[in-house]
Amino acid sequence: MKPDPVAIAIQTALLLLIAPLISGCIKNWKAKLQTRRGPRIWQPYFDLAKFLRKDMVISEHASWIFSAAPYVIFLSSLLAGLMVPMVVAQAPLSLYGGVLGVIGLLALGRFFLALGGLDPASAFGGMGSSREMTIAAIAEPAMMLAIFTVAITAGSTDLSQIVHSSGGPLWKLLDPTHVMAFAALFIVLLAESCRIPVDNPATHLELTMIHEAMLLEYSGRYLAFMEWGAAIKQVVLLTLLANVFFPIGIAQDTSFPMLAVGSAAYLLKLLALAAAVVLVETTNAKLRLFRVPDLLSASFVLATLALMSTFLFH
Amino acid sequence: MNNASPADLGAQLITLMAALMLVTQLLLAVQKMLLTSIRLFAIQSLLLAGIAAIVAYFHNASHVYIVALLTIVGKVLFLPWLLDRQVRRVRIVQEIEPLLNAPTSMLICGGLTLLGYVVARPFTTLDRLGNNTLAVAVTLLLTGFFLMFNRRKAISQVLALLTVENGVMLAAVALTTYGMPLVVELGIFFDVMVAVMVLGILVYRIRDTFASMDVSKLSQLKG
Amino acid sequence: MDNPCSTFLHLSLLLYVVGAVAGLLFLGRPRLANLFSFGFATVAALCQGLSCLMALVGGTAATNASARLIPSMVPYVEFTVRQDPLGAFFGIIVSLLGLALSIYSLGYARGFYGRKNVGVLGSFFNVLLLSTTLVFLADNAFFFLMTWEVMALSAYCLVSYEHEQEETRKAGVLYFIMSHIGTGCLILGFLLLFQSSGSYSFASFHALGNTMEPAHRNAVFLVFLIGFGVKAGIVPLHIWLPAAHPVAPSNVSALMSGVLIKTGIYGLTRVFFDFLGTPPNWWGVTVLAIGTISAVLGVLYALMEHDLKRLLAYHSIENIGIILMGLGAALMFLHTGHPTLAGLALIAGLYHTINHAVFKALLFLGAGAVLHSTHTRNMEEMGGLIKRMPWTAFFFLIGAIAISALPPLNGFVSEWLTYQSLLQGFGTTESLIRLMFPLSGAMLALTGALAAACFVKAFGITFLAQPRSQHAAHAHEAAPTMLLGQGILTVTCVFLGLFPTVFLRVLYPVTEQLLGPNLGWDLSRANGLVLQTTADHGGTISTLGMVLMAVCLLPIPAVLWVFFGRGTKVRIGPTWDCGQRGLTPQMEYTATGFSKPIRMIFKALFRPRREVQREYDFSPYFATNIRFEAHVEEVFQTRIYRPLNRLVLRASRRMRALQAGSIQAYLIYIFITLLVLLLFAL
Repeated sequence: MKPDPVAIAIQTALLLLIAPLISGCIKNWKAKLQTRRGPRIWQPYFDLAKFLRKDMVISEHASWIFSAAPYVIFLSSLLAGLMVPMVVAQAPLSLYGGVLGVIGLLALGRFFLALGGLDPASAFGGMGSSREMTIAAIAEPAMMLAIFTVAITAGSTDLSQIVHSSGGPLWKLLDPTHVMAFAALFIVLLAESCRIPVDNPATHLELTMIHEAMLLEYSGRYLAFMEWGAAIKQVVLLTLLANVFFPIGIAQDTSFPMLAVGSAAYLLKLLALAAAVVLVETTNAKLRLFRVPDLLSASFVLATLALMSTFLFH
Repeated sequence: MNNASPADLGAQLITLMAALMLVTQLLLAVQKMLLTSIRLFAIQSLLLAGIAAIVAYFHNASHVYIVALLTIVGKVLFLPWLLDRQVRRVRIVQEIEPLLNAPTSMLICGGLTLLGYVVARPFTTLDRLGNNTLAVAVTLLLTGFFLMFNRRKAISQVLALLTVENGVMLAAVALTTYGMPLVVELGIFFDVMVAVMVLGILVYRIRDTFASMDVSKLSQLKG
Repeated sequence: MDNPCSTFLHLSLLLYVVGAVAGLLFLGRPRLANLFSFGFATVAALCQGLSCLMALVGGTAATNASARLIPSMVPYVEFTVRQDPLGAFFGIIVSLLGLALSIYSLGYARGFYGRKNVGVLGSFFNVLLLSTTLVFLADNAFFFLMTWEVMALSAYCLVSYEHEQEETRKAGVLYFIMSHIGTGCLILGFLLLFQSSGSYSFASFHALGNTMEPAHRNAVFLVFLIGFGVKAGIVPLHIWLPAAHPVAPSNVSALMSGVLIKTGIYGLTRVFFDFLGTPPNWWGVTVLAIGTISAVLGVLYALMEHDLKRLLAYHSIENIGIILMGLGAALMFLHTGHPTLAGLALIAGLYHTINHAVFKALLFLGAGAVLHSTHTRNMEEMGGLIKRMPWTAFFFLIGAIAISALPPLNGFVSEWLTYQSLLQGFGTTESLIRLMFPLSGAMLALTGALAAACFVKAFGITFLAQPRSQHAAHAHEAAPTMLLGQGILTVTCVFLGLFPTVFLRVLYPVTEQLLGPNLGWDLSRANGLVLQTTADHGGTISTLGMVLMAVCLLPIPAVLWVFFGRGTKVRIGPTWDCGQRGLTPQMEYTATGFSKPIRMIFKALFRPRREVQREYDFSPYFATNIRFEAHVEEVFQTRIYRPLNRLVLRASRRMRALQAGSIQAYLIYIFITLLVLLLFAL
């Protein structure tokens, strides 16, 4: 299981290319559900290219933290992505970290994102940082409990091992532990990728922003890396959900037919989960900040139920 | 489906449906909109009917099919329609603040689930399809009672009582030999129907007299 | 013990004594007192560190015998020391921190020239380091208690160093009282152990618990838990920590948070794993529960603070909780007969001990430098310091990342080990108790995330954005020795984070001593690059690998920059201010505002109160003066300690009746006692 440079290169490229596509799909489908035309699904690629080509304006109060944050977010999301199995059951970097490594790296990115929001001395950035860290803190126990449940059934926090042990007869997917852990993690996914009902990614009102508020002062290539990093983080979480709970079609080795089936299955699962996110976003309204703990404590109770189901029903 | 015997599939489906019944009960514990609560109750009863149908299928007990059918007609269609109509007539669609707030209620329900498991443990050695649902049944009973005193609007309390009855029926369907005798089932069923209809009328009267469905106002009836 | 280890050890003890004396000798000449006392402390710490490291890595620690320091005339009291693996491990912590802090103090003490007596500071500093070293080495219960007392007293003197302020005096007295409550429990505990073993030497206490009766054993467990728990700062015995640590001089705060509370952990480890044999289940459950509660409450109260040092003090409580989670899990595994897992949990707890010592001391040193420059501990008056104190800011950032358990630093590694041991705990037993493991894991995740939130606040409000006061605007970088001290600790943090497998070689002898040899599993893999757990196909982690991989991925943004962004310019402009004439520091986010969402979410715990008073001339909309006060209830003070105080005072007042003041009354008391004793002897 030593890291294979070819696998690393391929998975990196895959992450970089798929992330904007998923963002674009979600935006486009959300618009279609609201009977609008919406932007084309390739739009985020053009946006990123545009940002990379533009000049930057940096606040006079900002320090090197402001400049370092985009790179930390970008690289930590990529690293986390390399530890998650996408097409093949064996993630390229699985030796260097499992699910705990993924969570830790995403937390590191979030730390610098929040600092980058405070750096320019803007009140909006400070507010965004405060809310983001609070929501992340409330979401962590639910996420950790759901992951513990999954890891306990699999006997390890190594993601390849978890994916391997989720396999078996299809009707095993109906196991209550599985279903409830998936529901709990889905709610956490909504919180972590800043989707309604936790945060509105399309708002223009600064007082309702959480993630967007921390990005307000960024422009040019810094903004490109921030947006890309956030998109990659979203794909990492979606991939985690897809492959841990529905490991159908994942390639067990690197033979060509398995790879083909694996890639197709992966893309389909990703798009299906994105569609679920779109559905949830369109049918719900954004919650008040002080109602978000209610949602996340529901997620925590679901995760606890999932844990108890491991012995409740046997 | 590979390597799955039908009985395994049945057991898995029953387990899943019992778990989902538990989830709907928890959602009921924190739900504020009365109309949504009624829908959740309808879903829970539908799941119960499903469990009954599966038990009937695997044990070839046709009278349990009748139980399933009665559940669908009565608890999924008729009672929710009746309560819905009631809610719309009094035009009060939201529950007021319950006794304990949402996270505390959820934690207490979690604790009651654990208690249900502990109570049900001695019975899980029985070799029957669906024997692992006793824990859920006891939990539904306990959480239903908890909901009855946590809520203040009469309609929510009626719904809580109905979920208690769901729990009892789940225990009956899943544990006793081929379900209880049909007569007993029918008796309980009509009992509950009449109770709900009477309560429905009473609710309307309460609201007429006190201009509110808050049951704590009933204490004004004291001399 | 006649090998280089013992030579270095004796040398270091001697040098501490010399340093203490030197500090007192040069009482009137601050520069010389500073140089000599802290200079000797530095060298002494270095010698001690070398000694302990050699003992552990060289393997001599396992077989060291007791050595007598000074002959004693009193029976039962032996001045014996023994450098066994556990003591040597904690000795490394003391020496590392002693080294860095002494170097830091050389620059820090300059702030006291002319105001206070630097010689006293230096002298007591040396005494504190000496007594702490002896606490870890002591091999006799009486000697242990003596050095424990000296440590507590010298710490009290250092805490009350700036006794001109009333806050400091009260904090010192509170610390003194709590410390003695703990010492009282310790005396009781050692007496109970003596009852079973007949001697006061630690060697005779080894595995004593297996031969004691259950009631006796449980009493010993509880008494030592309270006694060492007070020192460690577990909830609810922690109230002295947030009072005493902030008011002490910063090098002393760092030493207290880094080393003194670890003496509590040392004591707990020694008693639970060396003295008390195989534990019943409820011991482990209790320790795990106390650890979880301390961790969560510690970090929640830390979030509410805007005094930088009080915030750090509450974080110490949180981290002690995390260490106790590891120790509690180890106790539970010992009970269910899983020595390998117990070893994993113990390693997790001990690794977190040294990690916490290092990064907490680093943070306190940074806070000290900031305090030195801005003359305030209040975060709401700081800001913009990253431009004025760049190195201090960088070191503080490393400390903040480490304490928030973020990869690739050391906090992440020890929390990873703790998670792994909790995870595998679920499968060790069939009873419902096993639910505690995942729930504790979830609470650990909560504390980690809340700690990250707290340090975003602490670092962001203190160092980033614009300065909020004149003092902050005119701050200057710290003295070079202060930077050097912080630098040493930073390098250690990074080393402990990136090379855990190397450091594990120091921990293996400790687990071997406490849990028996041959744990049967090597936690390191791929030539030390990767850390693994004790299960088949278990999880693996490699912080070094992550860093190397990140370096390999760096070309990607670089290439994108060159390919797309060649020729783009960077302009410096004002922050978006909604079209107004410019942002003032008052428009920035405040520390109190930052933690408001947490305050609201947990308001059942905090019971926040706020008061707004307006003064106005003709209309309330045009206030001339607005006063805002926000309070968070100190739950432990009002619910536990004040009622306890009142109870004790009431009882004492009743007892006062006994002191009638007349000689006859006292003679009657003596006579009655004599009669009772005679009757009893019959």
